[in-house]
Amino acid sequence: MATATPQHEPYMGSPADDLAFERISTGELVFQAVYSALVTVMLLEIGVIVFRVLEPLVHHAPALFGSGATIDETFTRTIGNALMTLAPFLAYAVAGHKMKPLASVNRARALGAALAAAAIVFVLVTMGQYVFRIGPFAERPSLEMTLRQTDAGILVEEVVSGGTADRAGIRPGDRITAIRRVEVTLAELNTAVRQSKVGDVIRLRVERGDEEEQFPVEVAATMEIRPAALVAGLVIALLFAAVAVFWPGGWTPYALLIAIMLPLAVGYLWLIIATFSFRTEGLLPVNAQGEVGGLTLRNWEFLWREATGSNPSIWRVTLNTLVIATAMMAIVLLVSSMAGYALSRMNFPGRRTFLSLTLILHGFPAVTLLIAIFFVLRNIGNIPVLGDYFGFNTRGGIALVMVAFELPLGVWLMKGFFDGIPWDIERSALIDGASRWRTFYEILLPQIRPGLLALGIFAFISGWGAYLIPQTYSIGTKTATLAVYINQLTSDTAPVNWNEIAAVGLFQMLPVFLLFIFAQEYLLNIYAGGTKGSS
Amino acid sequence: MANQRSVVQDAGLAGEQGTAVLARSRRRTLRAQLTAYGFLAPAGILVILFFFIPMLLILFLSITNLSTTNFTTDIVRMLRSDLDIDLVSFRFVTDQPAYIVGFDNFERMFRDEFAPKILFNTLFYVFCTLAFFNVGLALVISLLTTHIDRRAGFFFRALWILPRITSPAVYVLMWRRIIAAAPFGILNQFNELAGRSEVNYYQDHPWVFVILVNGFIGASFGMIIFTSAIESIPKDLLNASLVDGSSVFQRIRYVILPLLRWPLLFVVTYQTLSLLTSFEYILLLTGGGPGLYQTEVWSLTAYNRALNTYFANAQWGYGSAFAVVLVIIGVVMAIVYMRAFRFNELVAEPKIEVL
Amino acid sequence: MRIALEHLTKKFGHVVGVEDVSLDIRDGEFVAFLGPSGCGKTTTLLMVAGIYRPTAGIIRFGDRVMNQVAPKDRNIGMVFQSYALYPHMTVFGNIAYPLKLKKVPKQEQIARVQAVADKMGIGDLLDRRPGQLSGGQQQRVALGRALVKQPDVLLFDEPLSNLDARLRLVMRAEIKHLQKELGITSIYVTHDQVEAMTMADRIAVIQNGRLQAFDTPDDLYDRPKTLFIAGFVGNPPMNFVDVEIEQANGAYYAVSPALRVEVPPDRGAAAAAHGGRVVMGIRPEDITIDPTGAVRGRVFVVEPLGRDDLLDVELDAHTRLHVLADPKLKVGAGDPVLLKLDTQKVQFFDAATERSLLWQ
Ligand SMILES: Nc1ncnc2c1ncn2[C@@H]1O[C@H](COP(=O)(O)OP(=O)(O)O)[C@@H](O)[C@H]1O
Ligand SMILES: [Mg+2]
Repeated sequence: MATATPQHEPYMGSPADDLAFERISTGELVFQAVYSALVTVMLLEIGVIVFRVLEPLVHHAPALFGSGATIDETFTRTIGNALMTLAPFLAYAVAGHKMKPLASVNRARALGAALAAAAIVFVLVTMGQYVFRIGPFAERPSLEMTLRQTDAGILVEEVVSGGTADRAGIRPGDRITAIRRVEVTLAELNTAVRQSKVGDVIRLRVERGDEEEQFPVEVAATMEIRPAALVAGLVIALLFAAVAVFWPGGWTPYALLIAIMLPLAVGYLWLIIATFSFRTEGLLPVNAQGEVGGLTLRNWEFLWREATGSNPSIWRVTLNTLVIATAMMAIVLLVSSMAGYALSRMNFPGRRTFLSLTLILHGFPAVTLLIAIFFVLRNIGNIPVLGDYFGFNTRGGIALVMVAFELPLGVWLMKGFFDGIPWDIERSALIDGASRWRTFYEILLPQIRPGLLALGIFAFISGWGAYLIPQTYSIGTKTATLAVYINQLTSDTAPVNWNEIAAVGLFQMLPVFLLFIFAQEYLLNIYAGGTKGSS
Repeated sequence: MANQRSVVQDAGLAGEQGTAVLARSRRRTLRAQLTAYGFLAPAGILVILFFFIPMLLILFLSITNLSTTNFTTDIVRMLRSDLDIDLVSFRFVTDQPAYIVGFDNFERMFRDEFAPKILFNTLFYVFCTLAFFNVGLALVISLLTTHIDRRAGFFFRALWILPRITSPAVYVLMWRRIIAAAPFGILNQFNELAGRSEVNYYQDHPWVFVILVNGFIGASFGMIIFTSAIESIPKDLLNASLVDGSSVFQRIRYVILPLLRWPLLFVVTYQTLSLLTSFEYILLLTGGGPGLYQTEVWSLTAYNRALNTYFANAQWGYGSAFAVVLVIIGVVMAIVYMRAFRFNELVAEPKIEVL
Repeated sequence: MRIALEHLTKKFGHVVGVEDVSLDIRDGEFVAFLGPSGCGKTTTLLMVAGIYRPTAGIIRFGDRVMNQVAPKDRNIGMVFQSYALYPHMTVFGNIAYPLKLKKVPKQEQIARVQAVADKMGIGDLLDRRPGQLSGGQQQRVALGRALVKQPDVLLFDEPLSNLDARLRLVMRAEIKHLQKELGITSIYVTHDQVEAMTMADRIAVIQNGRLQAFDTPDDLYDRPKTLFIAGFVGNPPMNFVDVEIEQANGAYYAVSPALRVEVPPDRGAAAAAHGGRVVMGIRPEDITIDPTGAVRGRVFVVEPLGRDDLLDVELDAHTRLHVLADPKLKVGAGDPVLLKLDTQKVQFFDAATERSLLWQ
């Protein structure tokens, strides 16, 4: 192979690299790949150990202060476990990635070496998992017997001798009918076992012949090796390595972005599927018999259902929400643009005070005042006439509180937009004979239309989705918003149709989503509190 | 005014004409200011009604024993009945106030056997959400989205706003479904496919999900700030580092991250405050459970004690004491934050002086 | 409308914008405010317009004290450097806006706007928006808007500085012509002395917020009262040389280590009366390269200006003179030259007070 790489053949590394790879023997290549893969695993495991070390620090820090209050959960261990699960896959990818320079010279050889390396790494990893009893070799709760569902109950087919069921006295041929007094099917029993911890005792009601007896069976931990899982593991390993060989580097950020978005993607996917399904199991639509299928429109029936005693018609709630959101938008726009204008363009005693106040309020978390605002609204409610519109448990009151909460942001934003208008235009208007008020609404407002649009949509969206304030300051559904309505559906005492709730949720999201698509560029900035870089 | 008088004298406008000019001047100044206050009035009234009065009110409530049993909204009556002073002896008319209990609520709060638990819960929650999501994940997303095609980056960032515009109830419902028990839960469906045993996420890992649920919303704030900071780094600087032969990682480590110091500090302070005080999603997801106060945070306690109707006995006084702690932290941090980040922008004076 | 500024002063906190400016503008006069950027021209103008409040001093229109009169009641028209058109209104809307605010009947509005627009040559653009117009057209709209309300006073704040050079020439002539035709008292702010010299009846030269001179263009050019004005007015600027005046046989000579020239007796006498060292000023166009010249020098740099060459001639280590020379002479850097000074137009200043010794 003395000839140089032909010109038309694409290559990625430098020619010297590629040729160097050509000269290395396949065995050595595989060895290098396996080595890098194992180093990757090691590094991740060190990460796992770090999180384990962090665990007492994060979770039991209170002990340092002489307090018994601990965080009951091992959040750091969860992260560690996630890393540990991830490690082998990353290792296979690394093994494949090592072959990339070679792939541009000799595809077949690169692929072969990558697969070989991945297989070796898989074997090593699997051995490690066996030793540490993790992954496919993890022990799981089990009763150590083989069962089959029959009409007369769950038939015990086999009992592992010396196993926990054996020790409890269960024999093949017994029929399990219930846990304590609760009748169970095999599926339910399996669920019960899976959810219990090793050492828990499950009291099985067993029929043996005509007798009926209760056997307390201690849940044992058994390692249950499933060849299918191992094969699947190997296939995945080879797949990862193969993909990594030909993976274009530019895709990595996209892959990462998609990976971290996955929970959200799955969540929203479920939301959409659920609204058209009879029931869902995981992401699958399921019919009444528990078989895949059961697509239906009945979850959307709420759209044309009449109002009943406790359940208002959806359109009334929607109208309510629309009124609150629109009112809120209008008031926020008017009030903040007026105040923003004064702060940006007028000189008066106390201007600096007002400005710093706006800013402090912008940073101040208004939710801490919820309790006190309850009393303010109650007191407004006691004022004749006015109280009927703006007091506790009125739409006006709720809208006002929400407006107030948006104000610091709104005023601040509007001030920024006004700051951006050239002074000469306003001076010109004044010289032309306009009053300050007229200049404000005839000359300046039209020029900050993008700002008004953005703040308006922002206010509308937050009014439309408002939950906490309407929930806190209203009783019953009279003034509820869609968000409150949804939450009430979830806490109904009657059986809850989750899929219908999902449908209502989607229904509620839809307008907001459209608005968002329409104005996302403006909105992105506002969601950061109107800060632009802030450096 | 002294200035204007001297003007008038300088210009030789004596007597009546001078006085007239002065009077008109004063009237005009007053009118100009009234116009300004007119523009500010609606915002001012709302701020007074829903920020200032509540701020004073919550301080007052925190020293009362107001609860369902002695409920009243008439603050004036409460004050009058408890603080009426006998004008002859200058003593309080009653020495057994019906409402005002001094600092009893705070004493009770410090003695509360769950207070330390809630306190550490809060610190744990704020720290983890901030570190892993509001700063950590936000940084990762903004670095990733600024290193790919501009429009694709924009698209991905827009997707991250979705949780913010989803109604809280639906967003939480989604997460509940993700972690639900088999056969409904999505994670458990994957577990089953992978041959792993079912996990009862809600019972066993409520914190993980409290943090995830809040983190997936909170990440977008930092993301936007960091992105705009990264995009405002002069391209020359980035190109120079490329010419120097640095890799992408070196460029991030030595060029981009050092320039993100201020945005980082800003996001940390701002988000600490908002995490400390927001509880909406915890309320919806766990309500502080599933175990006794397992995921309860300070702000949720204040809310639950005072406003949540699940507790038949609403203790406004005691709840206020919890809230006051947060109000004080909030005011202090907001002032610090204003001093540190934005005040310089305020200094510019308006360039029109009439009306 | 006669305008009087009396001891007008404007301070922004500690920054002095304008200090103690007094001047009288006659009815129908076209006055330019000339000065370097940041000297307080705009500030003065905005005080006249009523946008800024004077810190001290009086503004009169006619006999009326205007200090407390709102801008809208001053009946002025103003044209800004940025044009300040209302971007959301059409050209018609822009020009009609002052009339609309005055509640002029709609029919009359249309007629008056059309008349003004025709006069400005933008009669067929009335439906456009400012964003769709060229810079020159926007300028005309701004002018039309200022004129439509038939103001008593017209204010211009560097209206031409955003236009390209050729358009600037055209607009310069048009504005001057319009002003003369309408006879409206006008104040025109500019930092461009050519504009001021060509357009204004009188020029107020402002430096650091203070009025330096208020004179006709000819007086400023030929009879500068201060060293600053002499140096500021005229391009390329006047040369200054420190000299002593010698008197011999009834003739006066300006003498420095680098040169010795005879000056006219009247000017020489005035300078000699001051005694000691004085500053002599002479414009580049008053120096010629001439074999009969009495001043010896060496060309340091040649800057071709097109019609002329601007020479930087070194007389000795401390003295250089700018000279305008005919390009046909083909003088090059390093060439020795003999200069002839036309001393009929020479100026003398007190070195300490910088006041002219010839004109007070
Ligand atoms: N609104 C203002 N606030 C503070 N300083 C100002 C203001 N307007 C002008 N100045 C200052 O006053 C001086 C004169 O400005 P200006 O009148 O705009 O100069 P120009 O002659 O270039 O028009 C400058 O130093 C400027 O910085
Ligand atoms: Mg200016």
